[in-house]
Amino acid sequence: MKIFWSFTRQAFHNTVIYRFEFWLRLVSAFLWMYSIQWVWRTLYTQRPGAFGVSLEQMVTYGVLGMVLETFLDVGPEWYMATQVRSGAIDTDLMKPLDFHVHMLARSTGEMLFSLGVISIPALLIGYTLFDLQLPPDVSTGLLFGISLVLGYLVLFHLGFLLGSLALVTLDIRSISWAYYSLVSFFAGQMVPLWLFPQFLRVLAEALPFKSVYYIPMSIYIGTFTGAAALQAIAFQAVWAVVLLLISRWAWSRVRARLVVQGG
Amino acid sequence: MDTLRLYFKLIRISMQSRLQYRADFITGVIGVIVMNVVNLGLIGILVNRFVHLNGWTIWELVFLYCLWLLGHSIFSLFFWHIRTLDDYLVQGTFDQFLIRPISPFVQFLGREIQYYGFADVLFGVLGVSLAYANLGLQWDWTKWVFFILAIVSGTLIETTLTLMLACLAFWTGRSRRANSLLMQLNVMIQHYPVDIFGYTFRVIVTGLIPVAFMNYYPALMLLDKIDRSRDWWWLSYSSPVVALALVGITAGVWRLALTRYTSSGS
Repeated sequence: MKIFWSFTRQAFHNTVIYRFEFWLRLVSAFLWMYSIQWVWRTLYTQRPGAFGVSLEQMVTYGVLGMVLETFLDVGPEWYMATQVRSGAIDTDLMKPLDFHVHMLARSTGEMLFSLGVISIPALLIGYTLFDLQLPPDVSTGLLFGISLVLGYLVLFHLGFLLGSLALVTLDIRSISWAYYSLVSFFAGQMVPLWLFPQFLRVLAEALPFKSVYYIPMSIYIGTFTGAAALQAIAFQAVWAVVLLLISRWAWSRVRARLVVQGG
Repeated sequence: MDTLRLYFKLIRISMQSRLQYRADFITGVIGVIVMNVVNLGLIGILVNRFVHLNGWTIWELVFLYCLWLLGHSIFSLFFWHIRTLDDYLVQGTFDQFLIRPISPFVQFLGREIQYYGFADVLFGVLGVSLAYANLGLQWDWTKWVFFILAIVSGTLIETTLTLMLACLAFWTGRSRRANSLLMQLNVMIQHYPVDIFGYTFRVIVTGLIPVAFMNYYPALMLLDKIDRSRDWWWLSYSSPVVALALVGITAGVWRLALTRYTSSGS
């Protein structure tokens, strides 16, 4: 646990230097929340029945999606890609710490930092300005918390796999554009899966991405309750474990053929 | 003229150095196309459910999206690296532009070419053509001229705003986040017609950070959606004027920023 905090502290120090960055991140979160709730409100006045849920639930879903992004998306892939490009990855491999554990600690440390410094203020803005609702009861809140942790683990391992790819391709910038838009789409970050047309819905339900946003947020607004919620959490847990195993396997494979450029 | 010739010479060198990475070009083009297909897919899902977005049908939205993309494509081909100006300042590599007897601005602009922009051009042309056919548009030559002007204005607007924000780095050291914020505004106005948002937002993207002139206002004109009974309807014709004004302001900001430069040393 100590090593997680050391990364949190480091992220904090980096941000204190660029205080301006903090404000810009907050403004950015504000803009996303602002825009998504306007889209849903305008669409609601157009066809109130088409949501399948109430306007409050829909706005909460949309705004929450933006708040979660402020801390979930820590992007271990960028750290890995940068280290590969500069050649500094060899110092990471020399550390007396398993690389996968190191990345998990680093990402989680940064995630906790963003959670405290950006997401909580963003959440407060959401509650006061954009009609973000609280979860209906405490047990829903707890389930949401568990689901969120699993969603984070799924996203971290997807990022780790993308980062491992950097060892093969040396650059992931161009692949990342397709990756981010596909993850956000199939995770239902902006538009929930229940609004998808049938064939896309079937696909999105089967893929692991919905673990990141759709499942935690559906639990939060109360469309997944009781057995459905537990089933969804089980789905997340299975994917988190599967992706963890794939990540460890993939890493051991690419590591064997690592080419370090520069010196 | 000499400056222009020099610029193209620099661009040719940059292109040669980039062409070393053939595989990256292919994944880049595929990446950009997947991203755009997914973005339009999201809009498609919403329209599928709600029939239209605040009065904009699916092909009108495709047009809005791709008009932005066309202006942006020229920006992303030639001017994308303006966002990275702060790296040059932090690392002290900006010095190299100042010690040569040529305009530092031209040297900086000619530094890089981002060929992923080709994918934006392709996608934009395809999208606008499909929208044109599906909306049954019949433009006369004035509209075609305005269309070209709108694209060029779009490029100039995005380039000047990016450069002005990048110049912040001369004062603050870093400007990447500020430019991400601009990109975010751009994504919003690219995806949704500005009239879907609240009044304050419309004022911001019209008067303060005028990105709405990249696609929303010219699209109103090109799609015959101008409502002349409303105040400010003439904004739909104003993109070229806005672009020129921004070029003037940016030239001033750049000159001022250069006087602020102190090398980070190394």
